[in-house]
Amino acid sequence: MSEPMLSVRDLTVTYHGQGGAVPAVRGVSFELEKGGSLGLAGESGCGKSTMANSLLRLLPAGTEVTGEITLDGQDVLGLTPGGLRAVRWTSGAIVFQGALHALNPVQTVGDQIAEPMLVHETAKNDAAARVRVVDLLRRVGLPAARADAFPHQLSGGQRQRVLIAMALACDPHLLIADEPTTALDLMVQAQVLALLDDLKQERDLTLLFITHDLSVLTYACQRLAVMYAGRIVEEGPAWAVFESPSHPYTRALAAAFPTIGDRMSRMSPSGLGGDPPTPGQLPEGCPFHPRCPLAHDACLVAEPELRASGQGGRAACILV
Amino acid sequence: MSTLAMQRRRATAGRVWTQFRSSRQGMIGLGVLLLFVLMALAAPLLADARELSPVFARAQGNPQWASPGEFSPLGTDHIRRSVWAQFVWGSRVSIFVGLAATVLTIAIGSVVGIVSGFVGGRVDAVLMRLTEWFLVIPFLPLAIVLASVLGRNVWNIIFVIGITSWPSTARLIRAQVLTVKQRLFVDRARSLGASGGHIVSHHILPNVMGLILANATLAVPISILTETTLSFLGLGDPSAASWGKTLEEAFVNGAMTRNAWWYFLPAGLGILAVVLAFTLIGRTLEEIANPRLSRGR
Amino acid sequence: MHPGVSPLVEVEDLHVHFGAARAVDGASLQVSSGEVLALVGESGSGKTTLIRAIQGLQQPTSGKVTVEGKGLDAGRKREIQTIFQNPAVQMVFQDPTGALNPRQTIYEVVAEGLRIQNQGGDEEGRVARALSRAGLRPPERFFPLYPHEISGGQRQRVVIAGAMVMEPRVLLADEPVASLDASIRGEILALMRRLVDENGLAILVVTHDLGLAWNIADRVAVMYLGRIVETGPTEQILEDPKHPYTRALLSVVPETKEMEQQILIGEIPDPARIPTGCRFHPRCPLLQSGTLSDGIADRCPTDDPGPVALGAGSAAACWAVPQRFSPGDTTL
Repeated sequence: MSEPMLSVRDLTVTYHGQGGAVPAVRGVSFELEKGGSLGLAGESGCGKSTMANSLLRLLPAGTEVTGEITLDGQDVLGLTPGGLRAVRWTSGAIVFQGALHALNPVQTVGDQIAEPMLVHETAKNDAAARVRVVDLLRRVGLPAARADAFPHQLSGGQRQRVLIAMALACDPHLLIADEPTTALDLMVQAQVLALLDDLKQERDLTLLFITHDLSVLTYACQRLAVMYAGRIVEEGPAWAVFESPSHPYTRALAAAFPTIGDRMSRMSPSGLGGDPPTPGQLPEGCPFHPRCPLAHDACLVAEPELRASGQGGRAACILV
Repeated sequence: MSTLAMQRRRATAGRVWTQFRSSRQGMIGLGVLLLFVLMALAAPLLADARELSPVFARAQGNPQWASPGEFSPLGTDHIRRSVWAQFVWGSRVSIFVGLAATVLTIAIGSVVGIVSGFVGGRVDAVLMRLTEWFLVIPFLPLAIVLASVLGRNVWNIIFVIGITSWPSTARLIRAQVLTVKQRLFVDRARSLGASGGHIVSHHILPNVMGLILANATLAVPISILTETTLSFLGLGDPSAASWGKTLEEAFVNGAMTRNAWWYFLPAGLGILAVVLAFTLIGRTLEEIANPRLSRGR
Repeated sequence: MHPGVSPLVEVEDLHVHFGAARAVDGASLQVSSGEVLALVGESGSGKTTLIRAIQGLQQPTSGKVTVEGKGLDAGRKREIQTIFQNPAVQMVFQDPTGALNPRQTIYEVVAEGLRIQNQGGDEEGRVARALSRAGLRPPERFFPLYPHEISGGQRQRVVIAGAMVMEPRVLLADEPVASLDASIRGEILALMRRLVDENGLAILVVTHDLGLAWNIADRVAVMYLGRIVETGPTEQILEDPKHPYTRALLSVVPETKEMEQQILIGEIPDPARIPTGCRFHPRCPLLQSGTLSDGIADRCPTDDPGPVALGAGSAAACWAVPQRFSPGDTTL
């Protein structure tokens, strides 16, 4: 087995703000082989966006990051600023959520896509960059003329495609997609997912897909990991995690996306009481126990570790 | 449950006070302001009003241009009047005019801003043209014309300052009203059947109040300085003692060349201190309302 | 549909035009007591404009909205006051944080409707009951709190309580759970369904989420470019859709069981440039497949099938759909 494209071991991220230390990510470990795809699901406060940003060290100054992140054979946390700049966008790139504020409103879209090429000198000059920009736009399904448009002139779906083109500008090996289809319409979402899938096949990309929409992940990814309160509480093959989840939280999350045609969910919406926990104010023992339908006394004792749950997956629950 | 609401309001006021107390600049500003306000209120106790009259001064046998060493506490001026009396009684006019003119400014500016922003359409267009008209006219010529037409007394000064200062307040408040008007909770109130009056009083005003207060606190020093300017130019009330008038008389009668610092320095420093006090208080209130300002984030 | 029960809300041939942009272009629907109608569509379909017009937050260009028999005449000019001060119709908004005035306590938020409508009586009791029914217990604990002191799910419950305290007959909900975390959506949806089953409430819910419709809707109306293109009972629309647009939508929903994906090309056209003939024809996979008979395929680019008519129990605005489903066509 060759070396994984991305290896994260015991990653912990703590923000230091006026409210004290807030542990957003508390010991996350996973691996992604070359050409594989991993989906990371979770709700607000679970730490998934923090984790995504930590992979390329995009967190605000003063944030404490410990653990190990190995991307394309390089130790990301140990890189010098020069080395980090070299790795960013060429080894791993992020596709952000396509909201207006992800793009510079006063620069044309073409210039923004060309920017990383010129910075990393993968294109020798403006003209060469322009050729590649046009090529990328075409690849993501946008007409070449769009290169001279400003972000506000594009629709949500078009902006998302621009962000994908931007991420591919320097031919990265790893693509991290952070909520790329949230706030997009159903049909546009399907178009973007199909595009990502095509690009992945075409360029042999490794894909890390982060979202709160569990059902989307089953489409797009081979493996699935669910985060809660800063940790991974379940992971395994995507179909196994979605169809027969082992962790009670995953079960509840999956049930929130009912299968159309399934009589069980007709007229009976299912959800959890309470709210996702605030990082920094976690309950004792298993952080999910206040909302868990299967909780009992033993759950308050200690936070469960991930253990094998059958079907090639793992879940952090003492009942597994 | 208005008692509950009042409890929450009191709690919020308490919180604001606690935060204010912890701000050094705010407390210094408040302290200085209180000092001068007390002085203005206690004027009759601190200095005899008769000392402001040149006739009385001569009758008293006061020396001319006496320094503080020769005539305590602050010496005398060119017509033998006690400078201390002018300082103490002058504070009344300066502070009073500053506050009253600000009240007028805020009153006109808020009404125009809220009506213009909320009603919109033609009313907004007309009011905004009116506002711009006032903004464009240079202040000093307008003040001079009004002062000469209306006559030189304290109330007219207040009127002149108010009339020329309200436009910028109006524009500021209108901008805020436009923002609040778009918020979803205004839609919600409308969908509950709220009339325009209800929306303005329950939703627009509370969310604009903070801005109005901050604006007011920073408008007072501007009004005081404006009064000082007008008095210095000879447009002030000739019968009322004010710091601006003191400065004018000092200047006109050669206190600078005589090096009679005790004549112009107290008034000048007094203005500086009061203006600074209001500015510090205003800034502290702004920081409390918008914590991001103080952290520089 | 409940035959024999007259509908609480009737929207007839509603148009809302913004200059050349025809956001709502002839939509008709009705909702009866004790049922949930899900108005489904993508952005640009006009669904939010439609629901705002029904609530009175948007002046329609033409058409009629009737609630409990009382009509709103679209011709009247707007003033600052709402035209529709009917407490029987209440609204639940998409963004619960934005819908609450940050300077009002929860008590004041819920009591506001009562105070506006000058409904005296036991205000405190009614507020407590509304909060309790919305799942915020004990209600007294929430009285003095401000919106920023409670969670997103709780804020939406407060919005619902604020609507329910008016004892409405109809609830208009615009994406009620879209901005809430997935794990808490179920509770809010279950609450809404309970209000329908226990109180005979009628709910018109606007959403892009077909899973939500499956969860709580009795009937579904699908909107495309300002018109309703298909309507019918939920099971029928979601399991056996007739209109090609609905079929394409369902095929790309990740939650649909085994349906071949039909990803449409492009996006919903600009409402200022609505295609001629059937407004869906440029993107219609059925038309592009070449399997339609010439008689029908020729009509699609030129003849407008018209919107689904008011009162149609089950209908789809498409020439390819068998006769009994096509509304507005007198030649077939």
